[in-house]
Amino acid sequence: MKQTRHWLQAAALFTAAFFSLLYLVSALWIPAKAELAQWLIERSWQQAQQGNENARPWPWADTRAVGVLSVPGLGIRQIILEGNSGRNLAFGPVLLDGEVGHDLVISGHRDTHFHFLKDLEAGDRLIVQTLDRTQQYRVIASEIVDSRTAELVIEPGTSRISLVTCYPFDAPLAGGPLRYVVTALPVADRLSLAAIGQVRPTAAKP
Amino acid sequence: MRQKRLLRWQDRALLTLSALLLLLLIFRIETATAQEDQWGLEFQGDGGSQRSLAINTEMQVTITGLVARIDVTQAFRNGGRGWSEAIYRFPLPDGSAVDRMTVQVGTRILVSEIQEKRDARRQYQQAKSSGKVTILLEQQRANQFETRLANIGPNEEITVSISFLARVDYRDGSFSLRIPMTFTPRWDRGAPAILSGFFNETSPVPTVMTVFGTGAGPNDHYLDLNIDLRTGLKLASLESRYHDVDIQPSLNGYTIYLADPDTRTDRVFELTWTPDFGTSPESTLMTFDDGDAVYAMLMLAPPLAEAIRPQPREVVFIVDTSGSMAGVSLTQAKAALMQGLDYLGEDDRFNLIHFNSDSHLLFPQSMPLYTPYLLEAEAFIDDLVANGGTNMAPALDMALNLPLQAGLLRQVVFITDGSVGNEGELLLQIGEELRDSRLFTVSIGSAPNSWFMRKAAEIGRGNHTHIGRLNEVEESMSRLWSRIQNPAIKNICVDWGMEAEFYPEIVPDLYAGEPLWLYARLPFQPVEVTICGELEGRPWELSSTVLPGVGNENLATLWARSKIEALEDSRIFGEDPGFIRDAVTDLALEFGLLTPYTSMVAVDATPSRPQGETLNSEEIPNLLPAGSSATTASFSQTATGWVAQLMLSFITLLIATCMLLLSPLSRKGGARPPMTGEKGSGSINQAERIIVAHRAFLD
Repeated sequence: MKQTRHWLQAAALFTAAFFSLLYLVSALWIPAKAELAQWLIERSWQQAQQGNENARPWPWADTRAVGVLSVPGLGIRQIILEGNSGRNLAFGPVLLDGEVGHDLVISGHRDTHFHFLKDLEAGDRLIVQTLDRTQQYRVIASEIVDSRTAELVIEPGTSRISLVTCYPFDAPLAGGPLRYVVTALPVADRLSLAAIGQVRPTAAKP
Repeated sequence: MRQKRLLRWQDRALLTLSALLLLLLIFRIETATAQEDQWGLEFQGDGGSQRSLAINTEMQVTITGLVARIDVTQAFRNGGRGWSEAIYRFPLPDGSAVDRMTVQVGTRILVSEIQEKRDARRQYQQAKSSGKVTILLEQQRANQFETRLANIGPNEEITVSISFLARVDYRDGSFSLRIPMTFTPRWDRGAPAILSGFFNETSPVPTVMTVFGTGAGPNDHYLDLNIDLRTGLKLASLESRYHDVDIQPSLNGYTIYLADPDTRTDRVFELTWTPDFGTSPESTLMTFDDGDAVYAMLMLAPPLAEAIRPQPREVVFIVDTSGSMAGVSLTQAKAALMQGLDYLGEDDRFNLIHFNSDSHLLFPQSMPLYTPYLLEAEAFIDDLVANGGTNMAPALDMALNLPLQAGLLRQVVFITDGSVGNEGELLLQIGEELRDSRLFTVSIGSAPNSWFMRKAAEIGRGNHTHIGRLNEVEESMSRLWSRIQNPAIKNICVDWGMEAEFYPEIVPDLYAGEPLWLYARLPFQPVEVTICGELEGRPWELSSTVLPGVGNENLATLWARSKIEALEDSRIFGEDPGFIRDAVTDLALEFGLLTPYTSMVAVDATPSRPQGETLNSEEIPNLLPAGSSATTASFSQTATGWVAQLMLSFITLLIATCMLLLSPLSRKGGARPPMTGEKGSGSINQAERIIVAHRAFLD
């Protein structure tokens, strides 16, 4: 009788210890993977810039580096991946593909790569470098939207960037319906410079 | 007794902890599986969205003289297995007077009643929770309405018919009727109208977020339209601008059907007809006597004035280059601007402003028409890109406050789709800053906010032009130009021959070819109405007699509607909102009209949803306006939840520790005599010793 009880208790103890360790490893593995993957992807990005456009971060990867997102003010530099899937999101911010033109949508996890979005404020500068160009953006807005009732409107004719992550930032559980959308517009484009008269001299009266 | 002692408190605690552990395990598995299918972002193409509710719209239009009676039937179909509440927002023509609503459930027909908004909502909520079919129709903005229909059963179809009056427009000898079908997306990332927090230009009006989707289901968002045009006149032309139609002569006019059965509600419908007689009437007066009072409608449309050398002008073009203008809208705007430059006279001066989140001015002061300036302007127009938010106020400010130039009449031509949320504020600004300038609004695209555009022109003492398609640019702009160039009739007065309550109270300037509509309530039948005014400094006069047998009870409804509009407008100029609310509510209840303060509600007599069944709410998205190049994408799941997992691991670790503390192993240790200072014996392992030390500490 007493013996059985001891066995049961030992088994329960063992299970508890086993799962706590398992959870610990699997929980910490997520941010670790997010961090480590960026190192591997960095190498493939270097290769891509040298002309090997299909360079893969690791041989079996189903994604590639398509650009770099940096926020000089916050010391952030992250490689953007192609293909908006859950698997890719684990390794880095991903670019929405499709008919988007220059209306870029980049999504990232709120508790790994895109945690910094909560520190972005209107006026902050972002730089997005892709293989063909480097563009500076200025943050103009942050909004909280409900993904159950709203969709992202994409206007291929527009040049802008939207950074999307989940909201609230510190909710422990994943799967909530709210999203945090930061919108930034290109800065120092030819048009606005021309319009404030820095490029185009105002003609004198004849 | 001994047996009972078997389960000591330690055992019970252990058991509880084990159960807790089991629960945590299950919880962990739950959250892990819940995340799986939400990951990934998809483009939603045709039929991509998985909604259970569908809506199709049918419109029956009867046009008699200058008034159209329109019955909109919305058929809500619940294709799902549960009970649903449908929420649908839709636009109606400007100045519509909504006065009837019926609901058909199976073979029963429910008739709505008009109530104060608060009461209607309460009644709706009660009926909704008691499982009865119920419907609520509310007005949210001047031209935005919302139906809520609760307790639609599985595989059930419920049809809602909304009936309203709209005014037929009459310009330059042609009649037209415009019926909007969808909105310009007001929820536009980065459009300041909807920003939360960062900017001070945030809309003061709580913006209702309208849902858009390209994902109409295969049986969804269809439009069926049928027009009965009762005109006694022989027509020179009859055409629908944006839809293919079949036209058949009927007993008292024409019947018009949509030619394409696949038409969806993604663009405005516009019907235009021109009577086949050379000279158009300068004025029309019709009346209706309801016993208590006589209601009258007076339309004035003066012919084009004699060629007078036009006064030199300063024309300032403002063009909207916000993100919502992307695509066809911007192309139209550019064409309109280029056309506008062509129309300028040699003594005129001009300037250009484009705005999105920021405003940009071409010249610090308006310039004469010299080639270098024109080239510069053309380059400026060429370079326009649609991008960013819609921050109108600074652009208007810039245009209205340019340095004045002696002897020039300032006319501001404002080209936009008008998708703003802070309309009231902008209108007030126009009223305050206008002075001697005149504002002409040009709306662009297939779903402009025409209420705002029309009001802006009204307050700006100019007028409003709409361009729906690229090939209309030339026609619309030349029409606008003939208005701008010709002098207007100012200081208009109307003599009804008796005491009259008429709206609008302040009669606007009258432009050539642009009619004026007045609605009056009179104590008795008028004989003749005289209109006087001032044209280029000289007196001008016109008189009108009653057209017998044309007026009907609709005139009373239209009079009430225009009085409500006048009351609402007085808010822009600082009238007490409480007073407006009371006055509008009284009028609306008397005439049975839908307003921002009164709603229509209908409730079924018997409950249809069984007590136990739950009700799901679903918002039916609007189609994106045709011609807008936008597509939509849904959001991806962007959280890993690793912090929660970490917390979970700590909790299990805690449980494990507790178990260890309670287990017989440690109890054995505890039973020993105190061993402070004793060197480790072989039978006690390291962990045990720690625990023992721990316990000693705790004791």
